[in-house]
Amino acid sequence: MAVKRQLSMVLDLNKCIGCHTCTSACKLQWTNRNGREYMYWNNVETMPGTGYPKNYAEMGGGFDADGALRLGTEPSAEDYGVPWDYNYEEALMTGTDPWLRPNVKPTWGANWDEDEGEGEYPNTYYFYLPRLCNHCDNPACLAACSRNAIYKRQEDGIVLIDQERCRGYRYCVSACPYKKVYFNEEISKSEKCIFCYPRIEKGLPTACAKQCVGRIRWIGYRDDEEGPIYTLVDKYKVALPLHPEMGTKPNVFYVPPLSPPKLDENGGTTTESRVPLEYLESLFGDGVSAALDTITAERAKKAEGGESELMDTLIGYRHAEMFKLS
Amino acid sequence: MYKTITCLTALALLSTPLIAVSETLADANVKLLEAYDGVKVSTIPDGIYLRRVNDPDDIIWERLPEYRVSMSPAPAVHESVELRVNYEAEPSFLYMTLARTSERFYVRLRWVDDTPNAATAFDKFRDGAAVQFALGSDDTSYVMGDGPDSAVNIWYWLPGGNTVQNLAAGGPGSTTVLDEQPVSGDSQYINNEGDPNEWTVVMSRPIQSEGAHNASLTRDTVPIAFAVWQGADKERDGLKRVSDGWILLDMTSE
Repeated sequence: MAVKRQLSMVLDLNKCIGCHTCTSACKLQWTNRNGREYMYWNNVETMPGTGYPKNYAEMGGGFDADGALRLGTEPSAEDYGVPWDYNYEEALMTGTDPWLRPNVKPTWGANWDEDEGEGEYPNTYYFYLPRLCNHCDNPACLAACSRNAIYKRQEDGIVLIDQERCRGYRYCVSACPYKKVYFNEEISKSEKCIFCYPRIEKGLPTACAKQCVGRIRWIGYRDDEEGPIYTLVDKYKVALPLHPEMGTKPNVFYVPPLSPPKLDENGGTTTESRVPLEYLESLFGDGVSAALDTITAERAKKAEGGESELMDTLIGYRHAEMFKLS
Repeated sequence: MYKTITCLTALALLSTPLIAVSETLADANVKLLEAYDGVKVSTIPDGIYLRRVNDPDDIIWERLPEYRVSMSPAPAVHESVELRVNYEAEPSFLYMTLARTSERFYVRLRWVDDTPNAATAFDKFRDGAAVQFALGSDDTSYVMGDGPDSAVNIWYWLPGGNTVQNLAAGGPGSTTVLDEQPVSGDSQYINNEGDPNEWTVVMSRPIQSEGAHNASLTRDTVPIAFAVWQGADKERDGLKRVSDGWILLDMTSE
């Protein structure tokens, strides 16, 4: 879908420490109230893992090879996990309940499988994957909406749901292969990440990017050849979309994680990486190998005291250079 | 008691219903209306009132003729519907009673539904029913109208709070909630021992209305169409069962 300009985000998974500050920033700004309590417009998943909602990647949606919408399903409340709170007042203040306990029995939640990962010791592995709406070039949510309630802004490509037009049919929820559209039961309408457009319009980065303590996020326009997005996505090709096979053409890109070599039974190193290449390719497509090679080479260059535009960009010295919003 | 007797007497004076009232939805002895059939709207004489304005269980309904229409999956007009619709589904029937007083027009609908789905949840959809009126003639597309000059007025009943939304549309995807909300409704879900469970819904509106998109009920002939959503089958939007074409209401009072 042609827009005049496209805002985009790159996240370096090598730098993500899984602190969930991005998630907290987003939640406090947008989703801690009014029927959105269960929603995570931004969340951080442990990979390999079930993701959020549980097993979302197996729920269909997106487009088939011919560009036709693929049928998807709507996650259930259990797939998201029912939010719970604690009886702080009774347990800690008035003392009327001797136990601090949740108000519903927790059975699942966004980070239920946090830090579990996979593999056999000493070759166990996991990494963190922060996720938000991809503000796709070809949004399945938009294509699926029979009301034309979803639109992509011409000036920055942000995908929004017109709350006046939405009638809560939830085709968008099932069509998004990333399950980043959420149904608000209180108002019977769907809602999603708005890429903090009120902040963007003031020249500020999104809350998730600004608050990121690992400085893993860059924001800029795809067409800004002086900007970080062009450097990472187009020039060095080290930032890749999640599940490109879904056909939605995401505008959020990930620098895949490097990992130390696998150890053999004698403790010696092998030529295989700890995080299996095939696994990374199942997430980010066939550009992973070249991206990891480029990062490895540029990192070595920098380590040897040489110059590397790529590494200087990935280090993210100054916010002003990480967020180019004009 | 006096009022009830008066009511029954007055109704008995009306022309004898051509059609026997069906006791249950299993009773097929109810006239089946086809597309573009005309049907006389029954007149409830002045001075006779339902117990409540939209009482679905009022005794008056047993004294008025009931009709039925065959309901089939609506033709898909969007890829999202096309992906989900099952055209092989057996037709079902919607039973209706159409009545008016000098001031108010009533539609009473009954249909089989094994489960009452009154609330929406993440992956749960609610039941629904709607009647649609062509603002103009029966040349209007019965699939939500066709364009702003050939629009329809829709009364959409939602269970739970018994809300009836007064809507207009000028083609699929253009459904709009109107500023004026003169339509009200009530419903009853009946667990029938030994028979299928059913919804009964009554919707009504003053015959006089204002607003460009409220169907004129002062016309002699008003095209009407019907839709039902089964929440248990995840029906919403164009995923619904509809009657075929228009039924032409004869609004002239007796």
